[in-house]
This record gives sequence, structure tokens and C-alpha cells, in this order.
Amino acid sequence: MAKHVLETVGQVCPFPLVEAKRAIAEIPVGDELVIDFDCTQATDSLPQWAAENGYPVTEFVKRGAAEWSITVQRA
Amino acid sequence: MILTGLLLGTVLGFVFQRGRFCVTGAFRDLFTLRSTRWLTAFMVIVAVQSIGVFVLDALGVINLTSGDFPWLGAVLGGFIFGFAIVLAGGCATGTYYRAGEGLVGSWLALIFYIVGAATFRFGPLATSTDAVRSIALPEDSIYQALGVNPWILVTLLVAGVGFVVARHLRRERKVRRASLPATKTGIAHVLFERPWHPFISAAIIGVIATAAWPLSWATGRESGLGITGPSANIGVFLATGDLALVDWGVMLVLGLLIGSFIAAAGSGEFKIRVPDARTSVRSIFGGILMGWGAAWAGGCTIGNAMVNTATFGFQGWISLLFMIIGTGVATRLFITNHRRDGAAARPVLTSAGK
Repeated sequence: MAKHVLETVGQVCPFPLVEAKRAIAEIPVGDELVIDFDCTQATDSLPQWAAENGYPVTEFVKRGAAEWSITVQRA
Repeated sequence: MILTGLLLGTVLGFVFQRGRFCVTGAFRDLFTLRSTRWLTAFMVIVAVQSIGVFVLDALGVINLTSGDFPWLGAVLGGFIFGFAIVLAGGCATGTYYRAGEGLVGSWLALIFYIVGAATFRFGPLATSTDAVRSIALPEDSIYQALGVNPWILVTLLVAGVGFVVARHLRRERKVRRASLPATKTGIAHVLFERPWHPFISAAIIGVIATAAWPLSWATGRESGLGITGPSANIGVFLATGDLALVDWGVMLVLGLLIGSFIAAAGSGEFKIRVPDARTSVRSIFGGILMGWGAAWAGGCTIGNAMVNTATFGFQGWISLLFMIIGTGVATRLFITNHRRDGAAARPVLTSAGK
């Protein structure tokens, strides 16, 4: 099981989600995708997307002022 | 007392920021995710406000009247506005509250939206607005045109929205959503940390939008929430110094900036974020087109799609429809086809042997 990072800091919504959808399709099942983002709206849209697709969220943290990181496992 | 506008705007900006309420997102999600979750929340605002407004009208606090229906403006302006908000990354309200969060791209969109709205409302291109809006049908009110009691429409709207809300809530119970670990407690947690459910935020916004009517009315501005008119007023005021333009609506939009700044700063979500070249150019063009579209349509996602729909104006519903179509076209062009260098996941290198 490996980790992959998708850096989207500086990308406005909905691009973090658009890029995350593509990125997760390219990693093997069971691997984790770490998505770093600074678009506020994605604090709603990314966990919602993970929940609706049955992807477990293994970590979700606020890294600093308006900066977050969510780790989603491809299931 | 135009200061009530500042206060109401501050509360509204706060709720929009904390609720992550984005009307552009609500329209866009239809095309990118096939999701009606946020559009349903948006319709909750319309339904709540619709009840409120017709109660206020029945009580005689306000007096709803209707004019003609500039259908060509609603169709063309709605489409242009819906297209523009995808480029700008937010509708008029979204742009105001993101500006308060420190997004420089939204500052650009906001400045050019003000320029566009002023140009098409009062400036050299106001004649085009007058020409397009002179093509009108005689009656804007849906219930007057149908000859029915407005409460029939209110009841149908509330029932329809209630049905969809219930369906979403049922589906939601089946999925488990991750949330950020709490670092605050009590009221600070609720106000500055905890995610707000879209339907709760929407109900609060519906109440605020209702309260806007009598508060604005008391100052002589006989309408509810509105963003484009006040924004155009700001542009002309800055150029001419004419204080008569600084009305309740201007206070309202200034309040949006203050409220969202308080919300973002209080929750550690304020950060000056400078966009890349592509986002900057899109924000500028999006801003101008938003001003243009809203002027022709007679309102933005708030004035038309959220307020004029609640009072059952054809202008509101037709421009809402064409805004969504415009958003759909722009989403196909700019979101679905999105490509960026570095937008791929790169593996995290771990130490050898693992």
C-alpha cells in the first residue's frame, strides 16, 4: 500500500475535486491519495465525494490558515 | 436607517462563509457531479423566503407589485451571467464573500463586476440594457398571469422542495462523512469550526432574506436582497461622489465583505491567496460578463434567482433557468476539460526496503 500526493494549493474550487477524481482513478486499489488544498469549499466537497463513493478517509486535518489536507483511500 | 443593511449584510456574509454556500457550485454540481444537493439547499432559501414574503405582504408590512416581464433580457442576461460565474469562480455573492476570505482572484472579479454593472446600468452601454429590456411581455407575476391565489404557488413550491429535501436526508443517512477533528468547544465550535448542514444554512439565509424586505423597505428601497444594483451604485459613487447612491443595498454588500472576513478570520480560514495567470484572466473577464448579464437580466443569482423567484416573477424563474444553462455550457468548456501541469498524483517516496 503506497501513498500518493496531489498538491492543489492555489487552485480554486471546484478544481481540487476535479483533479482528485482523476488522480484517484490512476492509483491502485488500496493505495492512499493525500490531497492538499486551500479552497474553503473543498472542506465540504471532498469529504462528501469520498463518502458518496465509499472511499475511506484515513486522515483529515487543517494544516494552517486556510490550508487543509485530506487522505482518501481508493476502495 | 441604512445601517440595518450593513448589519444584515454582515450576518449574511458570515452565514455564506461558514456554510460554504456557493450558488455557482450549486448550478455547476448539476453538470460535474450530477448532484442536486446544493441546488436543493438553494431552493430551500427560495421556499422559506417565499412564505416569509407573502406573510409580510398579507400583513401589509410590504406591498408586492409587479411590472412587465422583459423576457429577452432574462433569457440573454441569465445565460451570460450563468456563463460568467463559472469563469469568475463565484456568483455575485460568492465573489463578495470570497473576497472577504482573502482570495485575490475574487477581488479582481469583484472590481470588474462593479465596472461591468455600472457600465451596463448607468454608463455608455446602458442604452443596450434599455433596448433589450424594452422587449417585454405585459405581466411579470406568475400568479397574476394565471389568475390564481399566490398561496397556491407557495404551497406547491414548499411541498416540492420539502419532498426533495426529505429524499436527500434519507440518502445522507446511509453514508458516513469524515469531519475535521474539533479544536474548539461550545459556541465557538458551532460558529467557527463545525460544518453547517447546507439545508440549515439555507433556512437561515431564507430568514435573513425575508428580514431584508421590511428593513430595506423602511429606508425607501422597496425590494429585498439585491447585489448588482448596489454594486453598480458603488461604481458610480466612486466616480461621482454622489451620496444619494449610497443606500441600504450598498450597506448590504459592504456588510457581506465584513461578515465573511469575521467568519474566515475567526475560524483561521483567512489567507491572502494570489491566483495564477489563467485564474486571474478568467476572474477579470468573468467579472465584466457578470455585470453585463446581471444588468440585462435585471438581477443576479440573488436578485433574480433567489428573490424574484420567491415572489413568483417570470423574470426570476426564466433567468434562473438560463443561468443554469449558461453555467452548464461554461462548465463543459472550462471545468470538464480542465488540464494543469502537476495536477497528477505523485507517489510519496518511502525509505528503501519498505
